[in-house]
Amino acid sequence: MEEPKIELDDLEVNQERLKQNTIQLKNLRVYGSLNAGIIAGILGMDGWIGIGIYVAIFLIVSACLAIKMNFKVKEYFKSSYDAYYSGIGTDLLLFLMIWVIFHNLVNIL
Amino acid sequence: MSDILIDDRIRDWVFLPIIIVMFMIQMFRGLLTKYMDNRKTAQKVTSKAQVAEMIDKNITQQSQRLARLHGLLPDQSFKMKRAYLCDREQGILTKASQKPAKDPMQSMSMMNPVAMADMLKQNLSGIVFMALQYQWVSYFFSGFVIGKVPFPLTQKFRTMLQRGVDVQNLDVRYISSISIYFVLLFGGLQKIQQLMFGDDTDEFVDDTQMQMQMQMMGMPTMPSFGQQNDPGKLFIAERTRLEGVKHTFELNKSSDKALKSLKRFLIQ
Repeated sequence: MEEPKIELDDLEVNQERLKQNTIQLKNLRVYGSLNAGIIAGILGMDGWIGIGIYVAIFLIVSACLAIKMNFKVKEYFKSSYDAYYSGIGTDLLLFLMIWVIFHNLVNIL
Repeated sequence: MSDILIDDRIRDWVFLPIIIVMFMIQMFRGLLTKYMDNRKTAQKVTSKAQVAEMIDKNITQQSQRLARLHGLLPDQSFKMKRAYLCDREQGILTKASQKPAKDPMQSMSMMNPVAMADMLKQNLSGIVFMALQYQWVSYFFSGFVIGKVPFPLTQKFRTMLQRGVDVQNLDVRYISSISIYFVLLFGGLQKIQQLMFGDDTDEFVDDTQMQMQMQMMGMPTMPSFGQQNDPGKLFIAERTRLEGVKHTFELNKSSDKALKSLKRFLIQ
């Protein structure tokens, strides 16, 4: 049986809420990268510009999150790095996949 | 490079079907894993060797838990627990580390039929489907170009992305159908599936990428932990770790922490 990992520093943080928040953040980021892929694919962006669009939309999503939280990151997440910047690489492959699919569907095939 | 015009029928009958079929297989695999998990019953301990394994596992868990949560214990309790585990003559960890090293053949859980069934199920829901899809795609859809990747690539990717297409000077951007299979595989159809259907709190269904990486590194995916040839070293490492723990009882700091939280709360 796996025990829930309790670290001593986290005794001040409500674990359940933090977990819910991170799940929502992950969903949000997946939506963001899906949209970025669709935009990059339909507009026919090429090469590095496409990756630039991904980074740009990622930062826009983080900015919207900040506005929604009223800039009080500590109430919702552990740190601002966690909430805004940490997961940028994990959804990159998803973005690439959607980009390739939509680029092919719209522009080439 | 001049642009290649790709027939509409390729899109209708190759590109979209591959995506749709892979997506459905992914969903089916998720349902299959769920179904098999529901039917999993508690494992019965069947042999003496397994009992010994369980005892070792519990000992390591206990020492790790102590090392992690030592702040919750007052000084006397912590010292007693640590002595129980780490004493040089009578401690549990010392005794456990003096057992002879396990025979590697024996220590593999192949002997245990339940664990083997588990491994089979894992393999089934992961590798078999991948292999099946690969065979399907490469049998039916090989030999033509299916699309174009939007980014420039080097010539090294040509063999991977243009398998079956024998035109020499074709731009590496034009890909064959097996590469769209790879893109879909690595790109994470799982995430989309989780987004659409995974609102329960299971955060992880199965991870073919992780399994594939583990297979590539040569380690088989073993369901149980601690299959090492020398458990003695493990216990000695645990013991040195426990002996090095600097213990403070968190209750002493708790009034300061409460003050800090209260201040933070009042400031808002």
